[in-house]
Amino acid sequence: MEATIEVSGLRKRFGPTTALDGMSFTVEPGQVTGFVGPNGAGKSTTMRVILGLDAADEGTALIGGRPYRDLRHPLSHVGSLLDAAALQPSRTARNHLLWLAHSQGLSARRVDEVVEQAGLGTVIRRKAGGYSLGMRQRLGIAAALLGDPPVLMLDEPFNGMDPEGIVWVRGFLRSLAAQGRAVLVSSHLMSELEDAADHLVVVGRGKVIADAGVADLIAAASGDRVTVRTTARTPAMTALANAGATVAVTGPDTLTVSGLAAQDVVTHLNSSAVPFSEISAHRATLEEAYMELTREAVEFRAATVGEGAEEVSR
Amino acid sequence: MSQAPSVEPRALTTSTRRADLDREPCAGRTRWRETLHAEWTKLRTLPGTIWLVLAITVLTLAVSAAASSSVTCPTVDCNQDPGKISLAGVELGQAVAAILAVLAVSGEYSTGMIRVTFTAMPRRTTVLAAKAALVSGFTLIAGSVAVLGSVLVARLVMPGHGFTAAHGYRLLSPTDGAVLRAAAGSVLYLALIALLSLGIAALVRDSAVAIGLVLGLLYLSPIIAGVVTDPHWHSRIERYAPMSAGLAIQATRNLAALPIGPWEGLGVLAAWAAAALLTGGAVLRLRDA
Amino acid sequence: MSTTTVTPYRSAVHVGRDGFAQLLRAEWTKVRTVRGWSIGLVLAALLTVLFGVLAAVGGQISCGGGPDGSGSKSGAACRQVPPLGPDGEAVSDSFYFAHQTLAGDGSITARVTSLTGLYSTHGGIEVDAGTAGMTPGTQPWSKAGIIVKENTTQGSPYAAMMTTGSNGVRMQYNYTRDIAGEPGMASAASPQWLRLTRSGDTVTGYDSVDGVHWTEVGTAVLPGASSTVQVGMFAAAPNYTVTSQGFGTASAVGGPTLTTGTFDDVSLQGASAAGTWTGTAIGSDSPRGQLLAQAEQVQQSDGAFSLTGTGDIAPASGQGSGRPVEQSLVGAFAGLIAIIVVAAMFVTAEYRRGLIRLTLAASPRRGRVLAAKVVVIGVVAFVVGLVAAAVALPLGDHLAYNHGSYLLPVSSLTKARLIVGTAALFAVVAVLAVAVGTLLRRSAATVTLVIVAIVLPYILAVASVLPSGVAEWLTRLTPAAAFAIQQSLVAYPQVTANYTPANGYFPLSPWAGFAVLCAYAALALGLAVYQLRRRDA
Repeated sequence: MEATIEVSGLRKRFGPTTALDGMSFTVEPGQVTGFVGPNGAGKSTTMRVILGLDAADEGTALIGGRPYRDLRHPLSHVGSLLDAAALQPSRTARNHLLWLAHSQGLSARRVDEVVEQAGLGTVIRRKAGGYSLGMRQRLGIAAALLGDPPVLMLDEPFNGMDPEGIVWVRGFLRSLAAQGRAVLVSSHLMSELEDAADHLVVVGRGKVIADAGVADLIAAASGDRVTVRTTARTPAMTALANAGATVAVTGPDTLTVSGLAAQDVVTHLNSSAVPFSEISAHRATLEEAYMELTREAVEFRAATVGEGAEEVSR
Repeated sequence: MSQAPSVEPRALTTSTRRADLDREPCAGRTRWRETLHAEWTKLRTLPGTIWLVLAITVLTLAVSAAASSSVTCPTVDCNQDPGKISLAGVELGQAVAAILAVLAVSGEYSTGMIRVTFTAMPRRTTVLAAKAALVSGFTLIAGSVAVLGSVLVARLVMPGHGFTAAHGYRLLSPTDGAVLRAAAGSVLYLALIALLSLGIAALVRDSAVAIGLVLGLLYLSPIIAGVVTDPHWHSRIERYAPMSAGLAIQATRNLAALPIGPWEGLGVLAAWAAAALLTGGAVLRLRDA
Repeated sequence: MSTTTVTPYRSAVHVGRDGFAQLLRAEWTKVRTVRGWSIGLVLAALLTVLFGVLAAVGGQISCGGGPDGSGSKSGAACRQVPPLGPDGEAVSDSFYFAHQTLAGDGSITARVTSLTGLYSTHGGIEVDAGTAGMTPGTQPWSKAGIIVKENTTQGSPYAAMMTTGSNGVRMQYNYTRDIAGEPGMASAASPQWLRLTRSGDTVTGYDSVDGVHWTEVGTAVLPGASSTVQVGMFAAAPNYTVTSQGFGTASAVGGPTLTTGTFDDVSLQGASAAGTWTGTAIGSDSPRGQLLAQAEQVQQSDGAFSLTGTGDIAPASGQGSGRPVEQSLVGAFAGLIAIIVVAAMFVTAEYRRGLIRLTLAASPRRGRVLAAKVVVIGVVAFVVGLVAAAVALPLGDHLAYNHGSYLLPVSSLTKARLIVGTAALFAVVAVLAVAVGTLLRRSAATVTLVIVAIVLPYILAVASVLPSGVAEWLTRLTPAAAFAIQQSLVAYPQVTANYTPANGYFPLSPWAGFAVLCAYAALALGLAVYQLRRRDA
């Protein structure tokens, strides 16, 4: 079986609201794919359709080429975490994993393995109702790992995690992808994904806006600009302008140069004997790239936020 | 910054592979067994379950014993049905059986865990069937203990209250055909009420609404029948309402006067339960989780 | 480093007073903004009306017809109207009357020397068999004595002095009134003297053990009595009934009875028309009357009279004589279940998703939060109940009447009590559900507990499943006692009738029964406040 998620042409309406409007993308194995978009863009609905929880009005969602509801032992095809709070509070965390394991014909030993992987340790025998949100996220990740699936799909796994947890999740996702698994992670905090995702599917208003590698997206947003740090601002500007570059002053001792590659900037400054302390390629943040892409698609602007955009898609 | 995940995932090898992953002929049966196993673990690990099962037994037994010791038979042929009296607690026990069944479904909807369940087991009707098997199983066990205890209490108490051979009553005995039917039927009655409740819970999801519907359906019929004087409508209510029809199974005397025969009455309840389960199952399949 | 003075932030948002009214408003907003709850409340009213209508329409009366069912009638053609007493209430009025006309004031005196009787335990009246096979013995309220009655029409006002089977001498008048006189039973060894004196429309009753020393027992006013009245001796005996309630069946064993009173020293003072006694069987057009035709007679020898009669002069007992108006309120049970569900969710929904923390953060005085909830849900439930009952009662009664039922007459004050009482029942049950919900925090358990506490005892007591003794205790001690507030029938101690919950008679008076429910609600509420304050939210 191929480790992929293929979504094509999904459409779904909830009464007057169009939740999905031709959503299509493919999640490839061996990389972490970020699934991003503003609130209400259709991320959670898409994930629920992929998992066979909601039925789409049109279109298909396939895991390794098969619809979810046809999967035998689905947790060994795709592990998922939709809502970390979705558990019965009076049951212990271990028993929560245990019934899930039993549903897939797995034994209790497998539960102990994923508990260890998720770093839950001794708290596993406590009631899940007493867990913090971060602990619940770890429990949800453990549940997603139960079937040792080639595909993983996690909805907002960073929510409620402490910094150590966020670092852990990032590294964990990368190592899972490195093993050849397809990993789809939704988030709306770009900074969380920046170091974790290789690929981004950006959605808005129920469809895909951009589907590209993270490096490409950032490069596109960065342009080929170079940042120069120097105490000799004026000579540097003169030298670089003479070489054909456009120079802008962006700080007391920094210049942003466009129209010249970093290597050429160094050459020209050296040849003009202008001292500089640092030359670096200007790198846009993923946040900037994302904001650029979704400017059009943001449905719920600040003034209208508050009515619980996520609820609309439920 | 993005250094060293604190737990390096090792090569993930599943320690226990299911033996029959791809043996298709057995797939259906295996899936059923696994679903049942998962649902069993779920029910078993909820602390409420054991209390509810105990409550079915204790409350049924307590009300039965109270009824047995409050009814007297002062004269010959005093028009009392000791079988029915000794099992009166079922009228309360059924409410607890209904809670057990409703919570098995609604408890997952209220927390959102139903999505986890349907993600792990996409065959939703199989999940409902597994819940039905387990909930009715629990109810059968609790009901059997309660009913046996109830008959035993009645056997000890009732002869002292005038239910004697001189007044035309034999000692209650499970070997008596009618008493056996009433006792076994009461256990089945409880299980069918649980199934009816499960179906209704799958239909409406919310526990309060589901339990309100179930108890309304059960308890309203005798009250309404009490004020409907038209004989046709009166007997229709008594024959087709789930509680009055189902409890006909408890009659051990004067069967000819019953509005519906004992087994036919239980059959009516079974039809209600089947209809509720089928509708609930269909809705479960069609609706977004 | 420059120092800037920081002006503390002051919100420009206007905040209202921190009053209870704010809390009420907040809770009211919560109730009305959940669509499911609004639907539930409307449903509560609709179900109440719907089941009331169903019960009324299902109360079709059929009558007539041969054994093969031919020629049977139904509906309004079958309506049987019982005689009505002076206050408009349904009455029984059949007895044997030996009477003369009395014009103007006067008095009658008589000595009763014995009261004997026969009764049948077989139930059915076999006219041909006559009194054969009947057992000797009187009933507690077998009666014989003297009477002043406006005329021989059933239901006309009267006043009577009588000796009874086991309740001593009584003065009874106008069907519902009963005053005790000398105790003991009349016999040849200890006869009982009775006297009635008429003056205008006032009749005074006396009794005496020796015919010399008289004791006034009571005074009756015969409303609208003309100057000419009937005066004389009577005998009556209510039916022998023993009702046994088995599980699922109630059966009455009983049959007709006869009472024979022996009188002597009968004297009549005043303007008498004829001076001879006329015997009339009042209310003899019933099967019971036909039995009487054979047995009932006046024997006169040596100034002594022996009168034999059956029947009763008394208020009608509810069942059998007509339809109690409150049967149209039976749908209140369905409505209550809906109210219980909504009220329970009103609290438990707060706990399910942790909304209670926000609620308590917004108003930390927890007792007041609960009080606001209780007031809001109570008022809402009251309004729902009021609307539902105000529609269901007249509508159901109207339909039942059109389908041939005779509605037992009740005063408009009683009707108002039924409607307001039903509304109050809704309110207090909703409060109970909120209190129990606060204690248990689980909706399924709350709904079940409240429904079982209120409806199950009622079913066990009323739907003929427990012996009446147990049934009475259930309707006295459990919250189901509150349904007494829906009772329009009045139980009379001087009437032998099946005054059981199954027949619509509760052991407690309407408001006392309601108070039992209120006590449960208050107890639950007290515990809820205590727990809410003590427990972590």
